[in-house]
Amino acid sequence: MGTTSRTYETTFIVNASLDDAQVEAVIGRVQETITKNGGTIKAVNKWGRKRLAYAINKRTNGFYVNVEFDAPGTVLAHLERAYQLDEMVLRNLTIILDKKAIAARAAALAAAPPVEEKPAAPPAAGREPLFTEEPKNA
Amino acid sequence: MFTPRRPRRDRDNQTPRKKRTCRFCDAKEVYIDYKDEKRLQRFVTEQGKIIPKRITGTCAKHQRQLVSAIKRARHLALLPFVSDAIR
Repeated sequence: MGTTSRTYETTFIVNASLDDAQVEAVIGRVQETITKNGGTIKAVNKWGRKRLAYAINKRTNGFYVNVEFDAPGTVLAHLERAYQLDEMVLRNLTIILDKKAIAARAAALAAAPPVEEKPAAPPAAGREPLFTEEPKNA
Repeated sequence: MFTPRRPRRDRDNQTPRKKRTCRFCDAKEVYIDYKDEKRLQRFVTEQGKIIPKRITGTCAKHQRQLVSAIKRARHLALLPFVSDAIR
């Protein structure tokens, strides 16, 4: 016993100029950081590419991803570090989902069951997604 | 020195002010989500400022939640900090 687990929610903005496979890679890395450090992913919501309300690093578009997870508090330091190191993540926000939030979420789910998220377009067959460290600034 | 008072406006002539109620209380909201930017947009001015509760009628409890939701939304670029785009 000892480590108490909490429910967190993290939202981050991935550089939208990357192609889908590269975005997936970034999401995969974030998920890995959580699971490796003793967390469990509850839900991953991809909101897709959205226009930013203001420019971040001179970019006006971003790919929003929202991840819900249960984890002990120690995960957050690792997650924060991973975000800082990842140049493809423009912004991140991690919050604790308190009882009220969870209740509200459950109520919303009960009221309107979400449409089954259709899986993202399958990656192009026969080609390994190459992840390049430097962003291609077109 | 005596300064004459401005005549008091006659309240009776005016239409009675409608009692504002907290929209979140009416809807029995327990949590204000920062992701719901459409909703939050109604509580900021065109410039992007948060509208005080004395204008919107939101109760203190919900206003506090609303403010933190708006600030979170701003951090994630869902809402602007300032918008003066109209020109």
